[in-house]
Amino acid sequence: MSEHVTVDVVQAGVLPEGGGDTRSQFLRKAVVGGGTLVVGGVAIGGLPKLASAAPSARQDQAILNFALLLEYLEAEFYTVAETVGAAIQGELREFATVVGAHERTHRDFLISTLGSAARAKPAFDFRDTVTDPTKFRQTAQALEEVGVSAYLGQATRLRRPTLGIAATIASVEARHASWIRDINGKLPAPAAFDKPRTKSQVESAVQKTGFIVA
Amino acid sequence: MSELTYQAVDQDGAIEEALDRLPEGDSRAAFLRKSVVMGGALAGGGALFGALTGTAQAQSRSDVAILNFALTLEYLEAAFYKEAVAMGALRGETRRFARVVAAHEATHVRTLKSVLGGLAVSKPRFNFRGTTSDQGRFQATAQTLEDTGVSAYLGQAPNIDSDALLAAAGTILTVEARHAAWIRHIRGESPAPLAFDKPLTKRQILRAVKGTRFIVAARRQPARRVPSLTG
Repeated sequence: MSEHVTVDVVQAGVLPEGGGDTRSQFLRKAVVGGGTLVVGGVAIGGLPKLASAAPSARQDQAILNFALLLEYLEAEFYTVAETVGAAIQGELREFATVVGAHERTHRDFLISTLGSAARAKPAFDFRDTVTDPTKFRQTAQALEEVGVSAYLGQATRLRRPTLGIAATIASVEARHASWIRDINGKLPAPAAFDKPRTKSQVESAVQKTGFIVA
Repeated sequence: MSELTYQAVDQDGAIEEALDRLPEGDSRAAFLRKSVVMGGALAGGGALFGALTGTAQAQSRSDVAILNFALTLEYLEAAFYKEAVAMGALRGETRRFARVVAAHEATHVRTLKSVLGGLAVSKPRFNFRGTTSDQGRFQATAQTLEDTGVSAYLGQAPNIDSDALLAAAGTILTVEARHAAWIRHIRGESPAPLAFDKPLTKRQILRAVKGTRFIVAARRQPARRVPSLTG
């Protein structure tokens, strides 16, 4: 964390207006300290670490496959709940229907983007979380929150154009999270900043659900 | 989604000022190789932004323009909710929404200003034209502002040069999306109307904001361009 990154800077006070070749002569070296990024008390790494995983086509593919796992999970969760969750009624059912359609769209979008590189769908067992309305609503909230934090955690590891597209999914996951929190009587937007999770944090959260059986 | 009208205002808004500094097209590459120093002290709560402040940070000119664009939208939102809360005309869940979101937007403003330091644009003058003192008009306007905020962040995200800034901007984007879903839910609209949210370009955002006629005057930037390095 005490690592330093050297970057070019323009001496701001003498920066000429309007661009032009003369600007280059104002380039200076500056040393920027890489502090620990703390979100809600959780240190998630410093600036050098963020910059170290250089985005590439290969890395985009790995990250989109990681996202695909989450979208498979969410899509299947809502689809199964709609099918077998007779007790899931009212606005909860509307939530399952609308959000299920979104997650299936995300899943299909990622599959078509990844082509032959797309991972296979795992086998899931959601147990009574797709039949018991209380467990369903709690699980839905947890899944949506994990989704938001997972996309946030990968943002800078994607090449920018890929990020631009992934972000349009991330904000929809945040809408889902807000909606289910509201239904659950929780504050829809509990903080001024959302919290990214690293890939391993997300994987550990997903593993804990026990939903992936094969 | 509420439609915004596209009436022009006479004065140049602060947003336009910020937008004019956004490099376009090929010229952008030139900007990427250059950067300016920004600094500022952050008084708590900045999450990822915390790492960007407290020490002098190097940011590209393009990033400064994007941050000022975001700051102007956050000024608008923060002022809107602050006034709505102060007017005391809101009831029930809408009142709760206004209070919570007012605090978030004020935090976003404070944070962006801290990151920008001396390069931050000034707060424009606003006239919310009665939308803060009527429950129904407040709700409709809040929905438009939040949906627009989401689209604005989405439109700029891929243009951000700094990884640290991008990571931090993402944590605001999703909160704006939560606000949008919340006010939509309150209004009986679908909280998540589409599977993908829609990025809007700076020009589209500018047109939408101008259409509200909420920005009545931009305070001109002070002439000095030396950032204050308070970290």
